[in-house]
Amino acid sequence: MGLFKDSETFEKVLGGFFGLVGETPDVAERLLASKLIIRFTYTDPDVVLVVDCSGDQIRVIPGDTEREAEVNMWMSSDIAHKFWFGKVNLTAALTRGQMKAKGPIPKILKLLPAIKPAYAMYPRYLEEYGFGEYNIY
Amino acid sequence: MSSRNLLTVTRITLNTANKGVAMPLPEFFQFHVPTRVVYGPGLASDIATECESLGATKYFIVSDKTIENAGLIEPVTEGLISAGIEIGGTFLDVPQDSAVAVVTEVAERAQASGAEGLIAVGGGSVIDTAKGANIIFTEGGDLVEDYSGAGTLTRPLRPLIVIPTTAGTGSECTLAAVIYDEKSKTKLSFSDRHLLPAIAVLDPEMTRTLPPGLTASTGMDALTHAIEAAVGIDASPLSDLLACGAIELICKNVVTAVEDGTNMEARGAMLIASTMAGIAFSHSMVSCVHAMAHTVGARFRVPHGVANAILLPHGMEYNFDVAKGKFAAMAPFMGVETTGLSVDEAARLTIRAVQDLTGRLHALGALPGGLRDVGVPAESLPEIAALSLEDGSSFYNPREMVAEELLIHLKRAY
Repeated sequence: MGLFKDSETFEKVLGGFFGLVGETPDVAERLLASKLIIRFTYTDPDVVLVVDCSGDQIRVIPGDTEREAEVNMWMSSDIAHKFWFGKVNLTAALTRGQMKAKGPIPKILKLLPAIKPAYAMYPRYLEEYGFGEYNIY
Repeated sequence: MSSRNLLTVTRITLNTANKGVAMPLPEFFQFHVPTRVVYGPGLASDIATECESLGATKYFIVSDKTIENAGLIEPVTEGLISAGIEIGGTFLDVPQDSAVAVVTEVAERAQASGAEGLIAVGGGSVIDTAKGANIIFTEGGDLVEDYSGAGTLTRPLRPLIVIPTTAGTGSECTLAAVIYDEKSKTKLSFSDRHLLPAIAVLDPEMTRTLPPGLTASTGMDALTHAIEAAVGIDASPLSDLLACGAIELICKNVVTAVEDGTNMEARGAMLIASTMAGIAFSHSMVSCVHAMAHTVGARFRVPHGVANAILLPHGMEYNFDVAKGKFAAMAPFMGVETTGLSVDEAARLTIRAVQDLTGRLHALGALPGGLRDVGVPAESLPEIAALSLEDGSSFYNPREMVAEELLIHLKRAY
């Protein structure tokens, strides 16, 4: 049983956070430079989020299983949640099978320094947007 | 081989320098080597028992023309056939850089042959081709669409036996394969524990005909794997141990192997070192030297081992401030006496030892001197520095890679 009670809640939490990150100039600029379209497929509860960095601004599209994504990533919702606290080492998670990634791995790794500021934003976001009960790490 | 390990030596070295601290342990590491490694001169012509142990009696052989022309395939196939192992077919046209079309063709032909397993005889390209082909051979599907990435396989693949004919890539014991995609014009990486070969057959006789230049460049490739594995951000005490063992074997044997290719002791030591370094970097990855070497290789077709040999001491200089403790700890494995020296002094001597080794191989005519000698235009250095940051290896470097600073070291390597 995952930490989040249902898909709707997790989609609100993470989709909202991705939207916020997309509006943070320093982070967004580097993500947009990658031109990547990434599909995140989360389980327990099940949610699909596409983060499209191919245009002028970052678009977060929930539930899109059709769009062609250069990178596909799979993980549990709990691992994703913990990741945004900066508590999951991506390469270790891939090694342990906690995450799976299809597509150009170097491009994903290259984004890690870019998203580093987002780790500090996540707990603040949870508190400010009414998701304080999930601020656990 | 010395029983000293890197952590112990690190403590001794740092304590000698009155620093009084040991290297911190990593937050997480995993060590996984399911590949059975067998070693012996002449072993490649006598591997029927190993083949049978995998539950398969019909194999498809993957290799290239150079290996075939060197007469290295025949003893393997004759040994198998005489012991009742069936050869379903062969593919002996693997190009220098493995590519998706070739990988797919190998898989299709292996499938059509009715083989139950693959045997790869060759260097890095042949081995990576066989690894990629084994995915499609076992699972079907599309190599790029379905499997490029990390952790995309869900179960063990069919048996893959690898017989390396160079002592450098270490691919016989790594979980990765790099395959060129003609469609996207990019090198795709495949990383999955199921890609690890079932058996690695280390037979120094299979490297006997390797020319001095290739012996030197592949040997320095292995040394680069070992040194970068030890300083990378994912290094662990276990990968350190193998890295240092590899460093010691390479430093003691590479010059002999270059000078006298018939010396099977030196050839054997280099082969074992290459595998040890391969296991080490398969766990802790490589970093800035490889990032620069990949770029130089892609832009100017500089052979990978040559590029690594030229760039290794310069990459070490780039990382000096953050990696000097590890460099100092490597010194004894390079035959450098460090008693009474500070960490800085011992680390400097380690880099000097690498330079001396490269210099000796250069004096033997087995390695070029600098980037200028391998067709790299001076005006391209800023571009190389910038592109190196894009390489996947850059992520594992122990300090951030900055183009302007890399350029200083690339100029020194010129």
